[in-house]
Amino acid sequence: MESIYLLIPLSIVLVGVAIWAFFWAVNRGQFDNLEDSAGLALEEDDATSAASESPPRRS
Amino acid sequence: MNSTVTAPLLLEGHWTSESAGEGHVVFNAEGIHCGNCARAIHRALDELPGVIRADVNVVNSRVSVTWDPAKASLGTILGKVASTGFRPVPLVGESAVAAQRNERRDAQKRIGLAGLASMQLMMYAGGLYAGAFDGIDPHWAEILRITCLIIATPVLFYSGAPILAGAIADLRRRVLGMDITVSLALVLAYAASVLNTFRGSGEVYFDSVAMFIFFLLLGRYAEMRGRHQASNVTDALAQALPAEVQRIDPATGAALRTPLAAVRLGDQLRVGSGQVIPVDGRVLAGTALVDESLLTGESAPHRRAVGDLVLGGSINAGGTLNMTVTRAADQSTLHGLVRLLERAQAERPRLGLAAERMASWFIVRVLILTALVGLIWYFIDPSRAFPAVLAVLVATCPCALSIATPVAIAAATSRLSRLGILVMRSDAIEGLATLDTVMLDKTGTLTIGQPTVTRIQTSGELSNEQALAIAAALEAHSQHPIAAAFRPYRTPTVTCTDARDIPGVGIEGSIDGVIWRIGQPGITLSDECGRLARFEVADELRPDAPATVQALRDLGLQVQLASGDSLAAVERTARALGIAQAAAALKPEDKLARLRAEQAFGRRVLMLGDGINDGPVLAAADISMAMGRGSSIAHAAGDLLLLRDSLGSLPKGIAVARDALRIVRQNLRWSAAYNMAAIPIAAVGLMPPWVAALGMSLSSLAVVLNAQRLLRNTREAH
Repeated sequence: MESIYLLIPLSIVLVGVAIWAFFWAVNRGQFDNLEDSAGLALEEDDATSAASESPPRRS
Repeated sequence: MNSTVTAPLLLEGHWTSESAGEGHVVFNAEGIHCGNCARAIHRALDELPGVIRADVNVVNSRVSVTWDPAKASLGTILGKVASTGFRPVPLVGESAVAAQRNERRDAQKRIGLAGLASMQLMMYAGGLYAGAFDGIDPHWAEILRITCLIIATPVLFYSGAPILAGAIADLRRRVLGMDITVSLALVLAYAASVLNTFRGSGEVYFDSVAMFIFFLLLGRYAEMRGRHQASNVTDALAQALPAEVQRIDPATGAALRTPLAAVRLGDQLRVGSGQVIPVDGRVLAGTALVDESLLTGESAPHRRAVGDLVLGGSINAGGTLNMTVTRAADQSTLHGLVRLLERAQAERPRLGLAAERMASWFIVRVLILTALVGLIWYFIDPSRAFPAVLAVLVATCPCALSIATPVAIAAATSRLSRLGILVMRSDAIEGLATLDTVMLDKTGTLTIGQPTVTRIQTSGELSNEQALAIAAALEAHSQHPIAAAFRPYRTPTVTCTDARDIPGVGIEGSIDGVIWRIGQPGITLSDECGRLARFEVADELRPDAPATVQALRDLGLQVQLASGDSLAAVERTARALGIAQAAAALKPEDKLARLRAEQAFGRRVLMLGDGINDGPVLAAADISMAMGRGSSIAHAAGDLLLLRDSLGSLPKGIAVARDALRIVRQNLRWSAAYNMAAIPIAAVGLMPPWVAALGMSLSSLAVVLNAQRLLRNTREAH
């Protein structure tokens, strides 16, 4: 049971690390555009075919 | 028009405009999330001497102020807003983008922390819960509780900070907002848990607190996204302009970088490929493909050649242009559009107001109910009084109710703007959904509004192409509207330099040494040797007009035609489109009378016109839509503005508006039903606080996600 003395503080540290990593990612702009990136692979490079209505752009 | 460009006054990034001795500014006030916040700002501004009018829109947190520059300054107005606890943020430009980005990132961090912490807390809570059944050494239970306390504290004070701050601001202003009941629940639960932790006995609610905050923030995040999307149209417009332009020095011909604010009327500018055309102007040299999608929503670029008008805010997609500035930056099409939109968005929608009133009515009763529940349980079983009070507070949070309408309206506005329809008045969506008659103007609405050559007859010596080229060369010098029909046929090889306008007859000029004349009778081209060509010019129907009229009929709408044009022309159009009710040769007052007659029958009429000539009729219609394309935008009046040069968006827009109204009703019904159902269950003590938190949050989320359905493109497939 004594291992809990180590495991509980460790769990707090791990949450702290996860939160720090998430904050770091947000500050780096990883979550700035969640919608367009999803459709990036489907988008054609040809600008003329990209009628403004057809792809669901939500930027 | 001024001879110099008066740069819009920039104070800390705020664009203001002055007209008729009144200053006007629109800005975002950060932190508005309910009707009470809006009312507080409104009240503060009304107290300020010199403020003529103030509007606060709760949906997109926009504040619009008109003031007397002699009595107040922008600085005092912004200061007053700031003193009520809301930060005024410029609407356009870099700082507005940064403000939106920061708001989004802050929200993401708060959600992330609350989410990660909630997961962890649930594990400890699981341990405590299992321990309560199987027996746990009080020493270990104490360690778990303290761990929960450590992790839950940043959730409440960092993630929950906007909620707590909102409640404090509400208290200071002595208004009842949603944040008060929510904060009361959070603080009570947290305080009791801390107390029990140190006492070493009793329940702890740390996991419920964190989860409640997490779900609350998720709902608010979705609502914030909707708000940002709705304001993106304006922002995209306003941010389109570059800070610097290339001005051509008339002496040397070299292009020098100059701030946009220093550009004067008549200046010559160079716009390279890929650059934004900064102001309205006329092409002096070069041709280029110009993408006007920002202003018109039309994605296909247009070729613009010497003499053509180009609009500020459009993008030069290929080729280099030299242009003269024909309109000041603050009078350009773009600026006019931004200003119109800003004012429109600063208005408060009636639908939203009703929901807000409902919410604040609701909160008073919730607080009374909570007190009663606590009191009753105190006499029955004091140990169950506290969880019941918490559950009631959480379950009754009218979050879903108060965001039900704004999120749907914001989503519909964003959806419509992608169809090229700008919502100028916030009630317009409701109007668009409930109309039953569409009255259409003919010229410029159903027709292109630009004469085109429909028939050519030549006497034999001339080919059609030659005749058109010669006619175009001559008509290039004419101011007559008919002349526009020949513009596409201009060629650089056939030009006329000495053309004269003979009033009442036509144009005369020499081409390759031969004198040509075009004009009466009809449109006849003739030279001295008697070579002849006759043209017929007509205003063609828009290609999508028949499909649009059919689509409107499919929506169950009655379609009428009301035109000032001659009977023959109107009949031809009406027959082509299959419109039974068509009236010709109507003066504006006749149109108005027709409209009034329809309204007297109880019909709700949409008037679609070009926005300039149809002003009075548009104003009298239940809902009006103006074809506000190109440079006429700034003068266009209407509840809705159709930016695209096609009619097809109208039936689609009506379908979107109907969906929006349906979703608003669904949302209101759903959230009211949820609250009604949850309150009794929570009051009798059958709902633990964490279930209440989950239910409340899910009901908000359901409302938001329901509204997001409007953003999908399902209706455009056909």
